[in-house]
Amino acid sequence: MVSFLRMLAIDARDVEKTFRSGWPRRRETPALRGVSLTVERGSIFGLLGPNGAGKTTLLSILATLLTPDRGTVMVLGLDVVREAGALRRRLNMASGRPSFLWSLRVAEIVAFYGRLYGLSGAALHRRVDGLIELCELGPYRRIPYSDLSTGLKQRVALAKSLVNDPELLFLDEPTLGLDPDVSVRVRAHIARLRREQGITIVLTTHYMREADELCDEIAFIKSGRILARGTPGELKRQIRLGEVVALRLDPARVPWLADVPGVLRCVEVDGWVECTVDEAEKRLPELLRALYADGVVIRNVQVREPELEEVFVELAK
Amino acid sequence: MSWRNELLAVWAVTLRNALMGARNVFFFFELLFWPIVGVLSIGLMSRFLELTEAQASFVLVGTIALSVVNVCQLEVAYAVLLDVWSKSLKHQFLAPIGIRHLTLGSWVVGMVRSLAVFVLLAALGRWAFGFQVLQPGWLALATFLLGCFLTAWVVGVAVCALITLFGNRAEAFAWASVNMVLVLAGIYYPISVLPDSIAVIARAIPLTYFLDAYRAHYGFASEFRSPIATGLALSALYAALAHWAFLAAIHRARRTGLLLKMSE
Repeated sequence: MVSFLRMLAIDARDVEKTFRSGWPRRRETPALRGVSLTVERGSIFGLLGPNGAGKTTLLSILATLLTPDRGTVMVLGLDVVREAGALRRRLNMASGRPSFLWSLRVAEIVAFYGRLYGLSGAALHRRVDGLIELCELGPYRRIPYSDLSTGLKQRVALAKSLVNDPELLFLDEPTLGLDPDVSVRVRAHIARLRREQGITIVLTTHYMREADELCDEIAFIKSGRILARGTPGELKRQIRLGEVVALRLDPARVPWLADVPGVLRCVEVDGWVECTVDEAEKRLPELLRALYADGVVIRNVQVREPELEEVFVELAK
Repeated sequence: MSWRNELLAVWAVTLRNALMGARNVFFFFELLFWPIVGVLSIGLMSRFLELTEAQASFVLVGTIALSVVNVCQLEVAYAVLLDVWSKSLKHQFLAPIGIRHLTLGSWVVGMVRSLAVFVLLAALGRWAFGFQVLQPGWLALATFLLGCFLTAWVVGVAVCALITLFGNRAEAFAWASVNMVLVLAGIYYPISVLPDSIAVIARAIPLTYFLDAYRAHYGFASEFRSPIATGLALSALYAALAHWAFLAAIHRARRTGLLLKMSE
């Protein structure tokens, strides 16, 4: 049990948080309603959910920026409330909507945070140079923050978040608003951080492809509760969305396909007929036999799991 | 935390504020324009009213003190304000930084800037109105400036606490309330002319005592028995209270989520 707990980067139990605002009439907005969560060290964990689900609130509590109303939260073996000071040295965060002092230059921002983590002299210069190179910010190191594009600002945030060599990194919408090619590079970089440095990463994202590609485990959060968690594959099976049998047929339209037993729905996408079936292994031979018997020419067949996006839509309903 | 890390964190804030100040033309405006306008208007008014040399020195000491305190306290308040304006407060408090680093680092820059303002105003006062800033001697001057810096630290930290407590919409209220208190410190008059109820407030302000001690060198009898000791004791008390208030405000902001709201 003890060794299992040591393997955990995050162990949160029954976390509750309600925001209170307004005067004289107080409004209460429950943000987290008894969230329990464990994240293994060295993994990439995704927090998914619609806007206002409580993702950022949970991330902020884990990062010591917000104190929970109830529950216990241990991060890297330390209590986020009582041992926040010691914990802050070992974690960091990058936000998809970064903001830093407008007049400071790229290298100065990274150096400022480096000093706060105890770096100075040659060690600080090496770290700043290394991070600027890693985040491909070399040509911009002397540019003031306010003159940078959104993508460059996010790269600055990423560089800043690595300045203390964190054991745990929180990434809040890390590729929000980035061009696709930059997003791909950021994702590759996140994967490399885990692979080469063993950093535990907790990320929130709206891009299902990103979660599917990066995350070992995912938790779906909605209205302050975790509705489901597991690997991307497990989640797709848990939700019972079925599997997709994609067929390229001649003639292209076969109206009776949707009525075949076990076929949940059929849609046409770019010349393919995509049939969602309850169990592909059982239904595929039946479908093929029926099509053959009807004289339909089968030009191509593909079987795939549903997209994580479909799981998201189903859970967010 | 080691001493090395403590000093590094203070230095990080000092450097950050100095760089921000050096790159903002409006910061220079704050630094030069109003202090010069203040000394020129008060000096010209004292000439028009045909004040004696000592009386003119009395009001010019007050004007210069107000400028020094204002410039320095503004810089201390930048400890929080820069991050509030740039919405980077959450990054700041995610790092292992204490409010002591923030306020001390900003205070260092504030002292340097307000010292520059003091030198400039003293030179202007001497050139335009014959005001002798060194007449009381170096020790008295150093004590007077220390009093101004300490008052500025207390005021600046109080502004930080108010903004962290009520959010950036409280900015105007924070400035107004602390400046109102400063004006009561006998900037342009001895506090003996104030009504008793207001004089009680003036006696609770450290700057009152430092002004009193410095003006005594220009021939004005001191109104207090040990003004410097009282001023230092009051400064220490308020510094501790302001620090505690700022700390409590940060804790509250972490609890209510204001820390995050001010970063959005």
